[in-house]
Amino acid sequence: MTRISAIPGLPPLIAAAALLALWELAAHTFDISGLPPAHVALREVPVILSDPEALLNILASIRRMLIGFALALSFAIPVGLMMGRARLVAAFFNPLLMIIYPVPKAALMPIIMLWLGVGDASKTLVIFLGVSLPVIYHSYQGARAVEEKMLWSAAAMGMNARARLLRVVFPAALPEIMVGIRTGLVLALITMVTSEMIARKQGVGDILFNALAMAQYETVYATIVIIGLLGFAIDVGFEWLRPRLVGWADPVHEIAVVGST
Amino acid sequence: MTAARRTGEIAIGILPIALVIALWHGIAMSGIAPAVLLPPPAAVFARLIEQAGNPQFLEHVGVTLFRLFAGFSIALVVGVTLGVAATGSKLIESLIKPLVRVLAPLPKVALYPAMVLILGFDDASKIALVVADAVFPILLATWQGTSAVDTKLVWSARAAGCPPRRALFTVVLMAALPSVLTGCRIGLIISCIVVFLAEMITSTDGLGYLLVRAGRNFQTVDMFVPLISISILGLTLNAGFNALRRWLLRGFAEEG
Repeated sequence: MTRISAIPGLPPLIAAAALLALWELAAHTFDISGLPPAHVALREVPVILSDPEALLNILASIRRMLIGFALALSFAIPVGLMMGRARLVAAFFNPLLMIIYPVPKAALMPIIMLWLGVGDASKTLVIFLGVSLPVIYHSYQGARAVEEKMLWSAAAMGMNARARLLRVVFPAALPEIMVGIRTGLVLALITMVTSEMIARKQGVGDILFNALAMAQYETVYATIVIIGLLGFAIDVGFEWLRPRLVGWADPVHEIAVVGST
Repeated sequence: MTAARRTGEIAIGILPIALVIALWHGIAMSGIAPAVLLPPPAAVFARLIEQAGNPQFLEHVGVTLFRLFAGFSIALVVGVTLGVAATGSKLIESLIKPLVRVLAPLPKVALYPAMVLILGFDDASKIALVVADAVFPILLATWQGTSAVDTKLVWSARAAGCPPRRALFTVVLMAALPSVLTGCRIGLIISCIVVFLAEMITSTDGLGYLLVRAGRNFQTVDMFVPLISISILGLTLNAGFNALRRWLLRGFAEEG
């Protein structure tokens, strides 16, 4: 490895700068109104962030995302762990999950909107659904891989089933659960944007698609940059947290299922 | 696993699905929710079967499938090539690594307006979104799989006179096939989801458009039909892919 890549955070920074340069270059080469140069769009970013109404919208989006995400974790991790330890539970949930998986959660939005309205409830529910699936899946995989001997020792020391799940299976499965949580974080952000785009009331997605409809292209690109920064910040925060929680484990496998809704 | 146990587990698996449908039917029948909001399942499935013979509906399905496969194929070629290249060359790795770090956590749907502005409202922007979303799992899985391949395999191939670039594709890629296929499966499901979303946002055809159109006209029955269709589509693709995977990996030791 070269010296440059030894400085943490520098290579991604260079990559981001290179992408911006590429964007600037492409804008000047093609010269279409749909692709404003990078510096014009970036000038819009502080304008949006200093507008109190827009800021309120963005914060409302983040709040919904966090609530949906927290609810999903508190539901999905126990379900996944139980699926991993009890064959019956796994057999019960697996086919249902297989059916739900390919359905875009945000596509449920129009139907959920009919029931719960266009407010916070339906958007939070969609985020909850989107985050739950990968977290359930990875908790399941993690719990399944727990060594039987550890459970036997715990049982021999007099732990009951619930304590075993909480004190043995959960920590042992944590590295794998973290993989699911990482996927869930990305999904939370994606579902947040798409749900707001379908139920146009407030939020980042609303700003983005309103700007598109009104042909304010600089705002469109500036909002994309803001959402991108949000995604990157979440990713960096997660990478900071992970070694502190599961530093004892080798990084499992890095195939974060990035994307999908 | 014995056959009896397997059938038992399948029966348990069908139970929750049957329960959901029964609950749905019960709520719709009880009148708590008006039929405009929640049509009975029988009506939805009848409509689905009716639509399955409707050439217009099938045309929409065809459009969706075309975009899905076009996007997935491009993502497959790009993802596998870059993944193998990143393992094969330190230079390419140092170029791709930071780019992936920046681009992977970015929600691609947010890029969709930009794609629409640059590529227009037609197929191109939707296929571009599918590519953007499906390429990363395939790329990461290929990269990881190929870099975990035993170097001795490459040495043997080189000793037998295989040029390095060819060894990369005929030895390393083949040895990493299980991991690559896992990435492809994730990519395929993601393509399924994303193509539907793109069609919901801006479209005049495809399954996603059917959902939005039905939603605008408050035809709840017609809203459920595209949703169930995309679920069936995803299940079919997944099953087909698993069969293909089993056939491709017939020489590998069974895993998981």
